Amino acid sequence: MMIEILAEILKITVLAGIAIAGILVILIWKKGLATKVTYLRFVVQAASFIAIFYIFTNPIQLLYVIGVIFLIPLVLGRLFCGWLCPFAFYMDLITVVRKLFKIRHRNLPEKLNKFLHNFRYVLFLFFLIIPFILYAIDPPPTLDFGIVLALILAGPFKPLSVLIGPIITLIVPWKGPLEIGGLYFSYPYIQEILDYSSAIDLSGTIGLVLAVAFVVLTVAGSFLIRRVWCRFCPTGSSIAVVNRFRGFKWAPVLHLDKDEEKCTKCGICKRVCPVQVTEIYEQKGGKITTSMCTLCLRCVEMCPYEGCLKLNMGKKTIFKSRNWLKPTESE
Amino acid sequence: MKEKQQEKQQEKKYAPEISQKEIDELRESIKAASQKVMADNIARMKKTSKHRAETMQYFDEVADFFGKREKEIRTAKEAGKKVIGYTCLFAPTELILAADAIPVRVNSGWYDTSKLGDRVVPVEVCPVVRSTIGAKMIGLSPYLEMSDALISVLTCDGMTKMGEILSDYKKIWSMPLPRVKDSAQSLRFWREEIMTLKDQIEALTGNKITAKKLKAAIEKTQKATKAFRRLQDLRKGNPVIMGRDAMLVNQTYMWDDITRWTEKTEKLCDELEKNVQEKKWVCPPDTPRVMVTGTPMIWPDNWKLPSLVEEATPQGVLIADELCSGERLLYDPVGVDEWSMDDMFNAIGERYLMASTCPCFTSADGNEDRINWLLNKVKEWNIQGVIYYVVRGCMLYAMEYTRVKKVLDRINMPVYYLDTEYTREDVGQMKTRVEAFLEMLTARIDF
Repeated sequence: MMIEILAEILKITVLAGIAIAGILVILIWKKGLATKVTYLRFVVQAASFIAIFYIFTNPIQLLYVIGVIFLIPLVLGRLFCGWLCPFAFYMDLITVVRKLFKIRHRNLPEKLNKFLHNFRYVLFLFFLIIPFILYAIDPPPTLDFGIVLALILAGPFKPLSVLIGPIITLIVPWKGPLEIGGLYFSYPYIQEILDYSSAIDLSGTIGLVLAVAFVVLTVAGSFLIRRVWCRFCPTGSSIAVVNRFRGFKWAPVLHLDKDEEKCTKCGICKRVCPVQVTEIYEQKGGKITTSMCTLCLRCVEMCPYEGCLKLNMGKKTIFKSRNWLKPTESE
Repeated sequence: MKEKQQEKQQEKKYAPEISQKEIDELRESIKAASQKVMADNIARMKKTSKHRAETMQYFDEVADFFGKREKEIRTAKEAGKKVIGYTCLFAPTELILAADAIPVRVNSGWYDTSKLGDRVVPVEVCPVVRSTIGAKMIGLSPYLEMSDALISVLTCDGMTKMGEILSDYKKIWSMPLPRVKDSAQSLRFWREEIMTLKDQIEALTGNKITAKKLKAAIEKTQKATKAFRRLQDLRKGNPVIMGRDAMLVNQTYMWDDITRWTEKTEKLCDELEKNVQEKKWVCPPDTPRVMVTGTPMIWPDNWKLPSLVEEATPQGVLIADELCSGERLLYDPVGVDEWSMDDMFNAIGERYLMASTCPCFTSADGNEDRINWLLNKVKEWNIQGVIYYVVRGCMLYAMEYTRVKKVLDRINMPVYYLDTEYTREDVGQMKTRVEAFLEMLTARIDF
């Protein structure tokens, strides 16, 4: 009884906290702080967080989102990653906490980052073939291979559900892995880790250990390194896959654009990027083509040369870097 | 043993034997001449335009080397503040400000002292260097005299050796600069240099540079950049301020109190904005719009090119410049991502190294940063002609001329190579050359 009341209180606090944060952000934005985009992004992320919590009452519904996620990047690039993904929201919140403690962030070595860039596809494939591996290790008595193939979309292992991993919120409205007083707690990828490890160890100890390790690693990791999971994320790589091939470079209608003549190569864009995209600095001008960019627009916001970096929708400029020391900005 | 060391320290490595009497005589005569030149320059600047902004009065006063600002720094110094000079705009001013010291740039523009510098270095050497050495020999520049230490950034050959020569008189902190800026190791190296400089500044001033102080200093220079950019943007339209006036505003930043400088520049911009609304142009709007690039021009003596351009018939007006004594001083802000000590140092390092367009850097793409800077200025500020100004002995700028010329030719932009010396003798000849160029520009505009 006690625990249920506590759970209700927790639920209300989380919602109220997000609502208050939203109102605060709107107030800050109205006051006209120079770094508006970041605040705006937090509002959108919080809104998307609430939306996912209230609209989707079971994980299968979220699978439909994956369909949208696959279609959106054809036109919008990885906008989803930068602005809507709840896991990214957690990592950004952890970054805010780190900033409060005035602890500096670390960067992954550039080479490792580039390597992960390609390694994500391997990871993605690995998750897709896991059911087959498990089938080979321990063939279910009544199922043959063809049925396992059919179970790719539904069934005990649901490999595609790995893609919804980052969209899982902390408190899930469906039957999650951990229940306390009527509230189901989860964390991105925890359900999958438990499912997969249950094939090896039915008692669930290994699964629990792995799950805790995953939570600790990602929380600690994103405390030190900004957006750490974005560099591994299979969902992100699946989004980016279209943009990587030569013939499809035209595909993302929403893209970053750089004006070569206005750039003094001061390097701010490279330094502020949370996923360490270097292309924005290295490419001479024109359309910036990289599947790492999550379109968080931090670089456009920080670029001090008016009109040097732009976010273009087709040929129309939606948002461009400004003279961010312009007198119209507040002091 | 100790005595021997002391003796060795006192031994002058470069300084010539020169009697105190001669020093005093030279100083007094050059000081008197210089005061006349300054007054004359300001009078001519006032005469050139009917609609000169009234706020310029303040900058005229600060521009006086032997006036109000000198006394101010002297009083501050007596009260225990340290003065730190720098010779190149690569020196991170924010660190000096954060340690509660006064930054002053000490390059000299005196023609007469460059003759004195000839006693130490040959005439082939860049006159800015010779003149600064000469000024130090006779103790002419009050800011150089009052500085407790000098940050010498090893950029061009002249600057590299100048620090060594001046070490006879001053405490010198040398900061080697990597010659290739576009690499991770250069940035690491430069960051180390800045960290070392921080320790040196802390040791000299006795003030610790804390994150809070550094943040305040960065915000101070950001505001100065903001004011400066506002002034630059005002020059995009019809001429509302003469180029010389704007250059003077830029130059006073080198020794003025930065907060006050920012305030006054904002005030100047307010006044100019009013003038724009009242359509009070400083010269007819069809005057050829000229841009200068090349060797730094330093107040007070080396003011002959801007004076010639703006007093010539037909008249020209300087709209923009690419000089390290001018716009490059303030064009780039320090962009901090997170206000931690670490990131602030990253930001300072990048601002001074990466954003710079100094020709002392080399790269396979032909110092493209500078080219892009020029092209952007030419387009955004509607420049109609470029004067490439080089003093004899300034190798790096002279060598880059071919590259700049090729690029500007491609966009059909007239560019004129003007070489000169630290001397008043060639003014007549220069006048003819400048007027011919302006004549050509006028013809092009009419055409």
